[in-house]
Amino acid sequence: MSATDMPFERLEALLRGEEPRTLDEKQRASMLSELRAGTLDAPETLRQSVLAAAPGAARRRRTSMPRRRLVLVVVPVAACLAVGAALIHGAFSSGSNPLAANVATRSVFHGKAKFQQNLKAVTHAPAANGAFAKAHTTAGKAFGTPTAAQSKGTLALSDQTAKRVPNAPRALGPLAGDNPVSTVQAYSAVTIPSNRLVHADASMQVVVKDHAALTSATNNATQIVTRLGGYAQSVQYQASRKGYGNAYLDLRVPVGKAETAIGRLGALGQLSSQQVSTQDLQQQFRQQTDTIGSLKRAIAIYQQALNSGSVSGSQRVEVQIRLSSAEHALNSQRKARSHTVASAATADIQLTLTTNQHAFVTVHHKQGRLGRLLGNAGNFLGLEGIIVLYALIVASPFVILGGLGWGLARERRRRGEKALLGSA
Amino acid sequence: MKLVNAMPAALAASRSGRAQPFSEVVSENLDAVYRYLVYLTGDRVAAEDLAAETFEKAFRGWRRFDPHRGAPRTWLCRIAHSVAVDWFRAEARRQRREETYMLDAEMLEESVFSDGLSPDLERALHRLTPAEREVVALRVLLELDGPSAARVLGISQTACSTRLSRALNRLEEEVGDVRD
Repeated sequence: MSATDMPFERLEALLRGEEPRTLDEKQRASMLSELRAGTLDAPETLRQSVLAAAPGAARRRRTSMPRRRLVLVVVPVAACLAVGAALIHGAFSSGSNPLAANVATRSVFHGKAKFQQNLKAVTHAPAANGAFAKAHTTAGKAFGTPTAAQSKGTLALSDQTAKRVPNAPRALGPLAGDNPVSTVQAYSAVTIPSNRLVHADASMQVVVKDHAALTSATNNATQIVTRLGGYAQSVQYQASRKGYGNAYLDLRVPVGKAETAIGRLGALGQLSSQQVSTQDLQQQFRQQTDTIGSLKRAIAIYQQALNSGSVSGSQRVEVQIRLSSAEHALNSQRKARSHTVASAATADIQLTLTTNQHAFVTVHHKQGRLGRLLGNAGNFLGLEGIIVLYALIVASPFVILGGLGWGLARERRRRGEKALLGSA
Repeated sequence: MKLVNAMPAALAASRSGRAQPFSEVVSENLDAVYRYLVYLTGDRVAAEDLAAETFEKAFRGWRRFDPHRGAPRTWLCRIAHSVAVDWFRAEARRQRREETYMLDAEMLEESVFSDGLSPDLERALHRLTPAEREVVALRVLLELDGPSAARVLGISQTACSTRLSRALNRLEEEVGDVRD
């Protein structure tokens, strides 16, 4: 057996001083003994200089913490801070008004834009100049609080206000805290003035039970508007095997039938949210009519001047230019007025039918403050998690690149060292 | 056999609540570090300088030394290894510049590695590479265990055992060649 074949275990045994078993082992043990027997002490000058430089003071205890222990401390502390921040946020945002708390929660997790859209309460009242104006209320103002719009002659009402004012237009949507079913029954028809030129826009979300109900409701919606003299501008129907389905209908109905259409469409299922906005076009129509009258009079004067023959050559050219310009403006104003009339003739209704119950927020009526606090804290914690995840996703390429660079540099240094010490 | 890895004095002192003075560590390990550097460099003068530099660095980093992570000897050998590698780099640059070699044939006759070694073994040690002499010094002379030696060398324990085995085989072969 050659020395090359000696197992590591036997080599370690020889290093520990165990008795050799074979001739090769005896030879190696002898060599190891000789190596160990050689004496080589540090020179006295070196000993004295090193000892002189080394003070006898004891090593001070380390104040820094090992990295692993540091991680074990930092991670729980960070987690505690995150939870603490979430609880504090929950405590502050839970407040005493459960509806306000729900508002705050939903604005984070269900899309602020959509949520605010749901909250828009639109109604109308004659303004000082005889026109109607839109008024939108926001989340915090929707609960019976008078708005700035009200002071300006416009009216924005919520459910609570509507209860106090019978026949008043109401703010619509489930965020007022009503059950969707009862909401449909409680909503009175939105009043759209019939004695003025008004353009109306409405968007509605209605929840139906299943696919069959979705199909039926889609067909019924088209039939409703057709019977009322309107039509379906576009219909999009989507359904999946998992039970989810949506239908998006863009409907047009005569303004005079808009209230009826909204009421009937809302009854197709559980009305989840509804937004109605109106824009008065009466003043615009009057201005256009006045402008058309002025232009007609101007054109008549220009034509009279041209026919009279009392104008000079240069003046004639100027009058002809003005006449041409007035005629062009008259045509434009006539088209604009026609567009205004057409716009006032129909109401646009965007109807969304869906089977997805989860698309709408369930309102917990009897949730206590502690429940709201925990709910808000949980939501805030989720938000923190999203932020951390985002930061990790953003930072991870840099971390990976840095790690790779560090590893490559280390490997290069190690190879250089190996080559340096490996050469005789 | 000295049990240098079993229970380091620094760790024992730390567990007993008593901090070990640096001068005590110097007294215990100076010879071992010096011998290690002699084996690594093959030059006593250079080893003396490098040992002084090693302990200077060790003193500066003494506050950061954690006895729970290894014996003071392992820690000192790691510093000495780093210092010696820097020295080898400088020597390589110098040799490239001057195109001369540090060791002449006449120097081989002189006893470098230990007093009392046979000339054959002395010559054979000279023929080993610094890396081979280093692992012999750590495992045989300083009697560090496998994990500690591997930590000093910055390699795995298996690689350390392999390197030691090859170094001893080569040493035996070189001794045989010299005797023949």
